[in-house]
Amino acid sequence: MEIKWAMAIDLDRCTGCGACVVACVAENNIPVVGEAEVEKGRLMQWIRVARYWEGEYPEAQAVYLPVPCMQCKRAPCETVCPVYATYHNEDGLNAMVYNRCVGTRYCANNCPYSVRVFNWFDHVWEKPLDEQLSPDLTTRSRGVMEKCTFCIQRIRRAKETAAEEGREIRDGEAVPACVQTCPPGALLFGNVADPHSEIARKLKDPRRFRLMEHLGTEPRVVYLKRQKGAGR
Amino acid sequence: MNGSDHLSRTDPGALYRELSRSNLPATKKWWLGVGLLAIVALWGIGCFVYMMKTGMGVTGLNRPVMWGSFIATFVFWIGLSHSGTLISAILRLTNATWRAPILRGAEAMTAFTLMVGGLFPLVHIGRNWRFYYMLPYPNSRQLWPNLRSPLMWDAVAINTYLLGSLTFLYFGMIPDLAIARDHATGWRKKFYTVLALGFRGSHNEWRRYHVASTIFAILIIPVAVSVHSIVGWDFAMAKVPGWHSTIFAPYFVTGAIFSGIAGVVIVMATLRKVFHLERVLTVVQFENLGKLLCTMSLLWGYFYFSEFLTVWYNRNPEEWEVFRSYGGVYLPLFLTMIGCNFVVSFPLLCMRRVRRSIPALSFVSLLIVIGMYAERFLIVVPSLARRNDPFIWHNYFPTWVEFSILAGALAMFLLLYAIFAKLFPIMAISDIQEHLFHTTDRKIGDVTVESIAMPHDTGKGGHG
Amino acid sequence: MNGIVVVGLFDAVELAASAASALRALPLPEGDITTISPMALPDGAVCRDPRGIGFPRVTLVGWFVGALAGLALALSTYLLYPLITGGKAIISVPPTLIVTYEVAMLGALAGTVLAGFREMGLCRFRTRLIHDPRVQEGKILLCARVSGDEEAKRAMDAMKTAGGIDVRPEEGEL
Repeated sequence: MEIKWAMAIDLDRCTGCGACVVACVAENNIPVVGEAEVEKGRLMQWIRVARYWEGEYPEAQAVYLPVPCMQCKRAPCETVCPVYATYHNEDGLNAMVYNRCVGTRYCANNCPYSVRVFNWFDHVWEKPLDEQLSPDLTTRSRGVMEKCTFCIQRIRRAKETAAEEGREIRDGEAVPACVQTCPPGALLFGNVADPHSEIARKLKDPRRFRLMEHLGTEPRVVYLKRQKGAGR
Repeated sequence: MNGSDHLSRTDPGALYRELSRSNLPATKKWWLGVGLLAIVALWGIGCFVYMMKTGMGVTGLNRPVMWGSFIATFVFWIGLSHSGTLISAILRLTNATWRAPILRGAEAMTAFTLMVGGLFPLVHIGRNWRFYYMLPYPNSRQLWPNLRSPLMWDAVAINTYLLGSLTFLYFGMIPDLAIARDHATGWRKKFYTVLALGFRGSHNEWRRYHVASTIFAILIIPVAVSVHSIVGWDFAMAKVPGWHSTIFAPYFVTGAIFSGIAGVVIVMATLRKVFHLERVLTVVQFENLGKLLCTMSLLWGYFYFSEFLTVWYNRNPEEWEVFRSYGGVYLPLFLTMIGCNFVVSFPLLCMRRVRRSIPALSFVSLLIVIGMYAERFLIVVPSLARRNDPFIWHNYFPTWVEFSILAGALAMFLLLYAIFAKLFPIMAISDIQEHLFHTTDRKIGDVTVESIAMPHDTGKGGHG
Repeated sequence: MNGIVVVGLFDAVELAASAASALRALPLPEGDITTISPMALPDGAVCRDPRGIGFPRVTLVGWFVGALAGLALALSTYLLYPLITGGKAIISVPPTLIVTYEVAMLGALAGTVLAGFREMGLCRFRTRLIHDPRVQEGKILLCARVSGDEEAKRAMDAMKTAGGIDVRPEEGEL
């Protein structure tokens, strides 16, 4: 079966709690850089919950927009890399080869969503924090670009399990950490090529839109618009 | 020498001695200057190593401003490099009679600015020690460069331009190296003998030499234009509001020539002062360069206005936010750019008095170089600092590490230039001789060589 | 073809020109007479170079060789590393054109240098070349390749008559 991964983010459900960010940090060995570095704009998190304000005080309302890597079909980051460190993998995901990266940071410039983060320093996990590092993926050295992978290690594991058992991968088997964690269930992940999958149904929602669609990047992350009105 | 204001026409030995003053044995002052430059350059290198060991975090860069002073400086140096080779090629092809004293200095400037500027992409990248991943050579790592990346176009173009400029510089120097060889003694004799490649000035050599230098001039012009176009395309190819613009390639080329000429004026004024070349580098050269600067300033103003106007009228919010920031945090830089490049310098350059005064023209050129640096910075940084998503907007200011590396690069350029001037003929002696020779009608054998107007003999004429 | 070359220094171009006409009247073939001068003299002023200038053709050849190399680099990249990036076609024409162009220009420059040096007769460090540093004092060295003592004597006479200084036979190449 062909696989086309996609993520749906229901803005109606997002409460801006940030659990997805924490889950992502824990899953993907993302360094915590500390307050001073964050102030310099060097947050390493792969997903950010952007917060905008709607209306004027006291009627102001927060709007939360979780922004992971959009895994664009026509990814602008890929073409500009001089060393093919970022490319399209067989699942149509936008993959990153850390070992290849020389750190020109052109990809980050060319990403309209600015979801790529750069290792400004070598990061250390002090004991005993290093014990919590996930063995499924590496830590990245200084000078390397990184970004959300849709938890590719989980996707790989699910695929391998399915292959071992001689079957197709089931809906809901591969779930990125952020999706798994989201308390209000605002995030959904799955294979849109499978017409029976939950995500395929969800993406038929008329509220759907994609971020900066006019740029023609064809993101694989689809947002469901927030409805206005009573109880919202 | 003979107390007159003019170069020696009849005594080539005296002419050589006058023009090769820079090659005299090094004085204490020279060593002091070179030593200071070497210290600054070493400090810059030290800071670079520190940055490499610690990480790019020691710079002021952040998300979204992933490119900063290094890239701005890269563009700036590559822009300066357009002075030499391009100008000297155009002057050669148009047979501008006043060109001779400028050629060598300008061509050397191109070579060294390219060498220094070409370092910056390497300084800038996160894993400098892995720079060879970008070279196309078969290897076991399954690595190959991606030619679709504008950075690779850049690499290819700068490679061609650097090799071309070095050849152009060297080729143009061969007759002068031969002259130096015939005059020199000691180790310099051996040095020039090897470098002159056995050029003697036979009829056969001269004829082919002229054809070859014409071909070089013809070839190097499109290369120079393509190089800065590609530097412009590094930005224009990106999906970044404020960068993604069709005007970038010609705009960059114009800016490059503009800053390049300003650079040439400064270098020429310095050479003139330091090596007492007042009788070669006369007001004529400076006035003509001043006129070119005036034209380029106008052209730059025109390009900038065109770019600004389209964004201003359209008010595409993404692009407009970039321009709006010019009125905010980047206002000082914006005013510096507009003032130095156009508002102040253009009226000044329109004045004959300014163009004919070497200190005044040097001052205006310095303004232009500063203004063009500000322009490069404004192209690179605000567009990134005001990316599509306002949530991540962030400003950028370089740190001491970056300033040190930039200063080190400048010192490195000056150092290269000082060493070059000490070792090589910094004035195109044979071209100057030829020019002097041609300034009188004479019948040579069966051919009459017509004289070319000789403005710097009268010291009054304004045209070359 | 090491031979005897009669050389003579002349103070002025005019003198050298008249000496050269005398040499041609001897007669010596035009290709065997040349000058060494501190600056270029127009063709025909003193001597004429009968050989054509061929190396610009190499410039053209260099351009095409460079273009082929650039094209090969681009195409082999697409063939050997068919990685899909940005969902775009593997072979993209504009980058190919750019790379081809730049390498072609490099080829043309290299061709000009190599062929130009060769045709100018540079880089002959091992052969003894006729030269007199006194040309840098504004003098002109007239050289005539002769065969046999008889011709050498006549050439020397012609140069001396025309006002040549230090006219002498030398062994070496032009």
